[in-house]
Amino acid sequence: MSQEYFFEMLTEEIPARMLRSRLQLLEQALRAFYEQHVGTPSRAETIEVDATSRRIYFVIRDLPQTQHERTEEVKGPPRRIAYDSEGRPTPALLGFLKKNGLSAKDLPESSDEYIRVTRIMAGARTADVLGPAVTAIIQAMRWPKVMRWGAGAHAFIRPVHSIISIFDRRVIPLELFGASAGNTTAGHRTFSKGKVSVDSLDDYLEKMEKAHVVVGADERVRIMRERCVSLAAQLRGLPAEDEAIWEQWRYLTEFPGVIRAEFNPDFLSLPDEVLITVMRVHQKQLPIYVNGKLSSSFLAVVDQVSDSEGNAAGGNAFVTNARFADARFFYQTDRKRSLEDRVKDLSHLQFQEKLGSYLQKTARIGALSAGILAAARIGNPEDMERAARLCKSDLGTEMVKEFTDLQGIVGGIYSREEGLPESVWMAIYDHYLPVNLDDGLPRNVLGAILSVADRMDTLTGFFALGMKPSGSKDPFGLRRAAQGIVQILFNRAGWTLNLGIDRLIESAVAVYRSSRLSVVVPESRWKELPAELTEFIGERVRTLLESGIHQFAYDEISAAMEPGWQASLADLVDRTASVRAVRNEPQFLSLLDSARRIANITAGQPDLSIDKGAFEHPTEKRLNELMDVVEEQIGEMIEQKKYPDALRSFAALAEELERFFVDVMVMVDDERVKKNRIALLQRVGRAVFRIADVTKIVVNRSEYKAG
Amino acid sequence: MHPATFLRVLGPEPWSVAYVQPSRRPADGRYGDNPFRLGKHYQFQVILKPSPLEVQDMYLDSLRALGLDLTKHDIRFEEDNWESPTLGAWGVGWQVLLDGMEITQFTYFQQAGGIDLAPISAEITYGIERLTMFLGGKNSIFDIEWGGGAGYGPVRKQEEFESSRYSFEVADVAMHWGLFEMYEKEARRCLDEDLVLPAYEWTLKCSHAFNILDARGAVSVTERVGVIKRVRDLALRCARLYSAARRKLNFPLMSEDARREYLERSAQAENPVP
Repeated sequence: MSQEYFFEMLTEEIPARMLRSRLQLLEQALRAFYEQHVGTPSRAETIEVDATSRRIYFVIRDLPQTQHERTEEVKGPPRRIAYDSEGRPTPALLGFLKKNGLSAKDLPESSDEYIRVTRIMAGARTADVLGPAVTAIIQAMRWPKVMRWGAGAHAFIRPVHSIISIFDRRVIPLELFGASAGNTTAGHRTFSKGKVSVDSLDDYLEKMEKAHVVVGADERVRIMRERCVSLAAQLRGLPAEDEAIWEQWRYLTEFPGVIRAEFNPDFLSLPDEVLITVMRVHQKQLPIYVNGKLSSSFLAVVDQVSDSEGNAAGGNAFVTNARFADARFFYQTDRKRSLEDRVKDLSHLQFQEKLGSYLQKTARIGALSAGILAAARIGNPEDMERAARLCKSDLGTEMVKEFTDLQGIVGGIYSREEGLPESVWMAIYDHYLPVNLDDGLPRNVLGAILSVADRMDTLTGFFALGMKPSGSKDPFGLRRAAQGIVQILFNRAGWTLNLGIDRLIESAVAVYRSSRLSVVVPESRWKELPAELTEFIGERVRTLLESGIHQFAYDEISAAMEPGWQASLADLVDRTASVRAVRNEPQFLSLLDSARRIANITAGQPDLSIDKGAFEHPTEKRLNELMDVVEEQIGEMIEQKKYPDALRSFAALAEELERFFVDVMVMVDDERVKKNRIALLQRVGRAVFRIADVTKIVVNRSEYKAG
Repeated sequence: MHPATFLRVLGPEPWSVAYVQPSRRPADGRYGDNPFRLGKHYQFQVILKPSPLEVQDMYLDSLRALGLDLTKHDIRFEEDNWESPTLGAWGVGWQVLLDGMEITQFTYFQQAGGIDLAPISAEITYGIERLTMFLGGKNSIFDIEWGGGAGYGPVRKQEEFESSRYSFEVADVAMHWGLFEMYEKEARRCLDEDLVLPAYEWTLKCSHAFNILDARGAVSVTERVGVIKRVRDLALRCARLYSAARRKLNFPLMSEDARREYLERSAQAENPVP
C-alpha cells in the first residue's frame, strides 16, 4: 500500500518576496527524488509544496513501503587482463566475481573492452531513504542571503525552530540546522498557544486550521481577494490591480485578513504616482479606485483574526498620512524650481568617477539621441533635444531622493505640470523603461530613443573602462541595459525604431570619443569596443528570442543570426520566424540536404564569379538559367519580407540540384570548370543563406513524413 | 553605535544588555513639523548574545508587559536588513510592524567592524517615542507625555527646531571638516597606543561630524565614498584591536569551561590535526 511523507519546517519570518521561486525549486528537487526512486508521478498531487510567512511544508504521496528492485551495471577489469593467454580467468577477474557473488559462467557473452556484470539490487525501505534524501534536498536550497543565529553553527534564510518529518504516521529522524525532526509544530504567533502534534497531513491541516494558520498560499490569496473586492465594493470601488503586491501578500501572513483604511483626502492633490508609490512600495498597501479615480481609501493586509476595534485600520491610516505629509513637503519644495533650472545641478552629481557627472552624461545622451532620431528618420528633433536635456534633472529633487523608484516619473510629472508638450514629458516619464522583461515599453518613440540612448551611453562607457559583467556579477546592470535596448528595437506595437545595432554602437562610440573624459581611453580600446559591444548585445538578442513572446529554438536563432543581424533586429525576427515556419514542412528536408551539400562543397572557397563559357554539361547550364528566374523570384519575396515563401522556393530547387549532383562532378581537374561549378553553387547558396544558414537546424528525420 | 553594542558583539564572550540611548540622525530632522520624524529620538536597545532561539517570543512578551493585548493588534515581522557602511557592520532581520507602524528594528548581527560574528547577537531596538505614542493613542510624537505631567513637545520641540536649522542651514562646513580631520587623527593615535575604547569614542565623533556635513549637503557624491571609507577604516581597526585585547585579557566574561572549550576549538581551527 502506498503512503505519504509529510514534512514541515517552522522558522522565523521568511522574506515574502523570496518564497515563490524557492518553493518551485524545492518542488523540482522533490520530483527528481520521486522519479529516481519511484517513477513518474501519476498525478499532480503526488508532490505538493507550500509555505506561510514562517513555515515551509510539503507532502509526497504515492510512496511505496519499499523501493523497486534496481539493476545496476558494475564495471570490472579490462578484458585483456581478465583472462590469461589460454583464456582462463586471472586472479583479477576472480576477485571481481567473488566481490559481486558471481562465478565465471555468469558472465554474459561480450566483446566489450571491459568486463561488465549486471547486479540486481534489493529495494531499500522507503523509510530509510527519505531521511538522508530530504536532508540533502533542504540543505541544497539556495537563498539570496542566508544568516546565522545563536552559536552561529548553522546558516539558513532564518533560524529553524522545529521540523516535522512523518512517513506512514511515524517520525523519520533527521536533523536540519540544529533542529531534530519530530511530530510537533506551533500555530499562529498570537492566536494559538503551545505545541501542536500531528501524525499526518490531514491531521496537520485540521489542527492548523484550529490554530489559526491558513497553510495554503492559494487559499490565503483567495480569502484576501474576496475581502478586497467586498471592502472596495462597499465604496462602489475596485481594488487596484497589482500582481507585485499580491506576490508579497501571498506569503506575508499565516492568518490573512484585509483591512480598509482612509488617508486624509487633502493628499489627493499630490500626483497619483507619488501616492501609489508610497502605498505600494513603502507600505505594501493596495489603493482603491472609485469611478476609475484614485480614492482616499486603501487596503492593507493584516495577520490577525479580526480588527474589531479598528486598531490596524487606524495605525495604517496614521502611518500613511505621515508618509504623505513628507511627500507633500518634498513636492512643494521641488516645485519651487523648474527642471530647466535644475539641469546645472547635475554637474555635482556623479554618474561614474571616470565617466563624469550626470551633466556630462546628459550632453552625451543629447548627442546620441539626436543621432538615433536622424538615423531612424522619426520624431521631432526639437522635442527630442528638450527631453534629453531634462531627462536626468529630477535626480536632484527631494522626491526622487526619497522615492528612488520614481526617477524619470517625477521628471515626467513635473514637466507635465510645467506645461511641456506631451511628446516631451512622456518621453522623460518613460525613459527608464523597460526595467524587466515583462515591463511595458516607453509609450512614444521619443521615450524609446531616450531609453536606448541612456542605456547605450552607460554600456559604452563601462565597456570602454573595461568594467564588463563577469559570470553572475553585473553590479551596474549592464546586461539589463542591453536587454532593454533589444526589447525596444524588437518592438512593433505603436511605434517602431528602425535602427541597426551596428549604427547605434558606431554613434555611441563616436559621441564618447568627442566628449571630454577625465580618463584617457587608449585608441586601441576604442577600436576593440564595437566588436565587444556587438557580441554582448548579440547574447541578449539570443536570450530574448528564446524567451518571452518569441520562444524561438536555439538552432532557429543561430541559423537566422548567421547571415548578420546587426543591421536590423526587426528583420532578424522575421527571418527567425521564417525558419520556424518552414522547418516542420515536408519539403524542409530537401531544402536542408541541398543547403548542406552546397555548404560542404563551397566551404573555404573564395567568392567566385560565373564564367558562362565554362559550362560543359547541359544540367549545369540549365541550373544556371533556372537561377536567373529563381533569384529574381526570391529577391522579390525577400524585398516583401515573405521569407517563408522564399525558403519554400529554394526547396523547390531540390530536384534540379539533385540532378546536378548526379550528372555533374564538381571537383574536376580542370580548374576553370571546377571554379565555375563552385561559383554556380555559391550562386544557388546565396539565395538561401542570406535569409538563414539552415544547415544549423537540427532535425530528427524520422519525424518527417515522406513529402 | 554605542560601544556596549558595537564592541561587545565581537568575539566569544556572552553579553546581554539593555539600555536607553538617544539616537541622532541630523538628516531626519524636520524642524519639529512632522508628527512622526525626529532628528533625535530615544531608543531602548537590547543585545542578547548569543541570540536565544525563543528571542521573538521574548520580544512579544515584552510588548505584552507594556500592556499591549496582541490579539487586538496586527503584529508582523517584515524583512528589513540593517547595514552600516561606516562601521563595516550588517545584520539580517525585520522591522516589527504594529498595526502597520514600525515600532522596532530587530536584527541578527552578522558582521561588525568587518569581522564575521560568532556567536550571533540579537539586537532589538525599540523606538520609545513610537511605542509611547501607540500606547497613549497619540497622533503626534509631540503630544506624548514625557513624564511627571510634562509633554514631549514642551520638552523637546525647541531642540528639534534648532537642531534642524543648525544641521541644514547653519553648521560651519569648514569647521566640521576640520573637526573630522582632528577626530580621525586622534582616533588613529589612540589606535596606535592600543587604546581601543578611546579610539572608538573618536571614531563615533568622526561619524557624527560626517552626518552633520551630509545633512548640510556639504558632501558631494564623489567625496561621500571616500569619507565613509575613512570612518570605516577606523571602525575596522577598533574591532580588530578590541578582539585582540579581549583575547589578551583571556576573555574575562567567559566561564572557565566555556573559555577552555573555545580556546581548544580555535586552536584546532588554526592548526588542524592532519
